[in-house]
Amino acid sequence: MTIPLVELKNVDVKFKSNHKVIHAIDHVNLTVNRQDIFGIIGYSGAGKSTLVRLINLLQRPNQGEIIVNGQNLLDLNSKQLRKSRKKIGMIFQHFNLMNARTIFNNVAFALKGTQLSREQKKQRVNELLNLVGLSDKAQAYPSQLSGGQKQRVGIARALANKPNLLISDEATSALDPKTTESILNLLKDLNKKLGLTIILITHQMEAIKQICRNVAVMEQGKIIETGSIYQIFTNPRQQLTKDFINTTTHLNESINVILHQDQISYLTNEEKMFHLFYFGETTDLPLISTLYQKFEVSANILYGNIEMLQGKPIGNLIVILSGKPNMLEQALSFLKESQVKVEEINFKFNRGK
Amino acid sequence: MDLIAKYFPNVIVNWQGDYGFVGAIKQTLYMTFFSAIIAGILGLGVGILLLTTDKNGLTPHPIIYSVLDKIVNILRSIPFIIMLALLASFTRLIVHTTIGPTAALIPLIASAMPFYARQVQNALVQVDPGVIEAAQSMGESNLSIIFNVYLVEGLPELVRASVMTIISLIGLTAMAGAVGAGGLGSLAVNIGFQRFENDVTIVATIFILILVFLIQFIGDILVKHLTH
Repeated sequence: MTIPLVELKNVDVKFKSNHKVIHAIDHVNLTVNRQDIFGIIGYSGAGKSTLVRLINLLQRPNQGEIIVNGQNLLDLNSKQLRKSRKKIGMIFQHFNLMNARTIFNNVAFALKGTQLSREQKKQRVNELLNLVGLSDKAQAYPSQLSGGQKQRVGIARALANKPNLLISDEATSALDPKTTESILNLLKDLNKKLGLTIILITHQMEAIKQICRNVAVMEQGKIIETGSIYQIFTNPRQQLTKDFINTTTHLNESINVILHQDQISYLTNEEKMFHLFYFGETTDLPLISTLYQKFEVSANILYGNIEMLQGKPIGNLIVILSGKPNMLEQALSFLKESQVKVEEINFKFNRGK
Repeated sequence: MDLIAKYFPNVIVNWQGDYGFVGAIKQTLYMTFFSAIIAGILGLGVGILLLTTDKNGLTPHPIIYSVLDKIVNILRSIPFIIMLALLASFTRLIVHTTIGPTAALIPLIASAMPFYARQVQNALVQVDPGVIEAAQSMGESNLSIIFNVYLVEGLPELVRASVMTIISLIGLTAMAGAVGAGGLGSLAVNIGFQRFENDVTIVATIFILILVFLIQFIGDILVKHLTH
């Protein structure tokens, strides 16, 4: 067991405003291992931004311990703290580049006060711009760049001092889906190439799904659920977690669309609608054809979605199964034996109008 | 030349000499320049202190902030013509006279400094707090953030504020001229107005306008050059 890179122990943050106390972080414990990509998801106001600002002490806690790189940051004086912040890179939703400086100088700014010579700094900046694919923009100003390019500059700047931790504060939230994907891929690459640990906060489950290995779900200043991405997706315990997952599988939307279709008002007694959820090896089995061959139950697939998480598949199907009632029973128990979660969708109650 | 002699006879008579146009222009420039430099340095310092000690600043300090804030407000509330009278004994103590352009510097600075301090504060507070946070996350010290972030990122706004302050200073020098400081204001009032030599007033006004436009023009070019 190696020592974790980041450990928050029982940290608590309260804000006072207009005689009201806001409990922004409520006794949170968090451990992030080296070389992990750790996601923190929650709606705005959940306390995610406050939580990550504790890690470089941009926000001081009212109580608790913050240990990064084996050092309790709260024990450091301001000079030591500034030194340790250089080893924690941070990127932001609105990029926070300096408009008065060129791209080159924005990145070079992070190297100010280091031991490097002028020539070494120049070399390092060019190296970084190369890494994020912006060598040709060195002399441009931030206002001349697109959002995705600005975030790349932000990443180059954050990596200037060779940090082992990168904090991403909603770094893709202001970007379009395609740019988001390319930025996430860049982060994933950096994680692989440089062994960079990344803590990524977002309200987009898509982003988490794409690159994170572990995830924590936050609500009202508390971490309500945490685990590997696979655990969270296959076995979510909290309603909020389920909601987030459903936003990426589009399951709720689809059920809604399906329930408003005419087709389902014609369902006979021998037909029932189900939500099938399966993961891992089960996805390799020819489930649907087995149902027909063994039980003469036919399946009409209304919606299907298969996700790959950390190389493992996770499937969601909405099907209408039709067959003789006793065969249908047997088919369902066969599905359950095959590790498929089966949930009947009771459209008669849901349909409304 | 004949045309000028015909329409502006008194301007030609009052051109040379310490009390003529040449001397007056020099005095106005002298007063504007030195009061701008000194009030600029002091105002910048006070403005930065206001910025950093504010509750959202780099090093919030409610007591320092509220003291500075009140001093600035009080000084800004005193009309310049009263400031001239109010500071007369102080001026005499330092410059040993209350007459002439050097004596006028004291009240000019006292009036322009708080004005500029507030302008500096307002200019720098517009720097994106996210950029400040980014600099902090990079391990920059507060001093470095003031000089390398606030003053660099806020430079265009700072130039605008400076232009505004210099232009209002030119206005104040003219007012100081009315009570013995010399300069174009003195020329316009003491000769143009009191001797009914209107052409002198008109030409003095034209010189002031040229000065103002020139400063505005240079300021605009600088701002354009600095904004990316």
